[in-house]
Amino acid sequence: MAAAEAALKIRTAMDQLKATGVRERPLVEVLDLSHQMADAMTAFFGSLDKSIIGEFRYLADFIQKARDEISGLQANDIKDSRLPGASMELDAVVRDTERATESIMSEAEKLMSIEPADLAAYKADVDAAMMRIFEACSFQDLTGQRVTKVISTLRHIEDRVTKFANALGVKDAAPMETAEDARKRELLLNGPAANGPATSQDDIDALFA
Amino acid sequence: MAVDLSMPVLVVDDYQTMIRIIRNLLNQLGFKNIEEAKDGRQALEKLNSGRFGLVISDWNMEPMTGYELLQQVRASDKLKATPFIMVTAESKTENVIAAKKAGVNNYIVKPFNAETLKGKLKSVLGEF
Repeated sequence: MAAAEAALKIRTAMDQLKATGVRERPLVEVLDLSHQMADAMTAFFGSLDKSIIGEFRYLADFIQKARDEISGLQANDIKDSRLPGASMELDAVVRDTERATESIMSEAEKLMSIEPADLAAYKADVDAAMMRIFEACSFQDLTGQRVTKVISTLRHIEDRVTKFANALGVKDAAPMETAEDARKRELLLNGPAANGPATSQDDIDALFA
Repeated sequence: MAVDLSMPVLVVDDYQTMIRIIRNLLNQLGFKNIEEAKDGRQALEKLNSGRFGLVISDWNMEPMTGYELLQQVRASDKLKATPFIMVTAESKTENVIAAKKAGVNNYIVKPFNAETLKGKLKSVLGEF
């Protein structure tokens, strides 16, 4: 039963009681008080209904906004296209780098084993090996371009996720440590520092002096 | 006493190129008996089945890290006296201190050059 309907029924009941012609003072006072109470309840339930409607409107707006933001996130595009693409680029970077390193190291090892008995032949071998090393170094141009594409993908995802989090007021939950995280923490597996060694060789040497 | 350049040296790294770099540098310095392992577990098996005069190990490897290998070596009566040099990209001070506490003889941070490796070998093994 709606609040307004309940208030109307109470008011009707009181009006009917008054209409019976009862003139005893206490009863009239009780009826007056009841009347005031009914008015107050009407106002209260009326405002309650409005606030609930407001809450539902807010929720509906929030859900619509969330749907718009989720749509704008383009999660399927990220999952099906951008991340696999970035992964393939990084695989190619690793492959190209390994191939180039293998070529350069092989040429360097050959150079170290050349006998310099015949100077002209030695120079020709060195020149040929150097040319192959230069050729192998061309990998850097390609890997540079591939890494740039990956960085672009990461920036795209960062931008979308940031907008999504800001729009919905997302707060980070307390981080859950996985078994792998715990192993990394216990065994101090930090990996290479971003901008060169975190501690210089000189500082390390000082610890062993 | 001069360093015996024929002593077996175990190089432990999961990255074949790094093993190759260290092997070539050691060869240039005169070390000829160089063996390799791709992680701590394989290294421990080799160490237990042979006699090595030096271990040069990376830190970050699976399933057994170089740090765990170092701890196992120092806990073993048979192996605890084996000189151990860590060559790693793990360059945080906490890593260096942890390795030192675990008994590492010296610590080289990647990338490194031939002179650094030579200096640490001399520091650990003596002049050669």
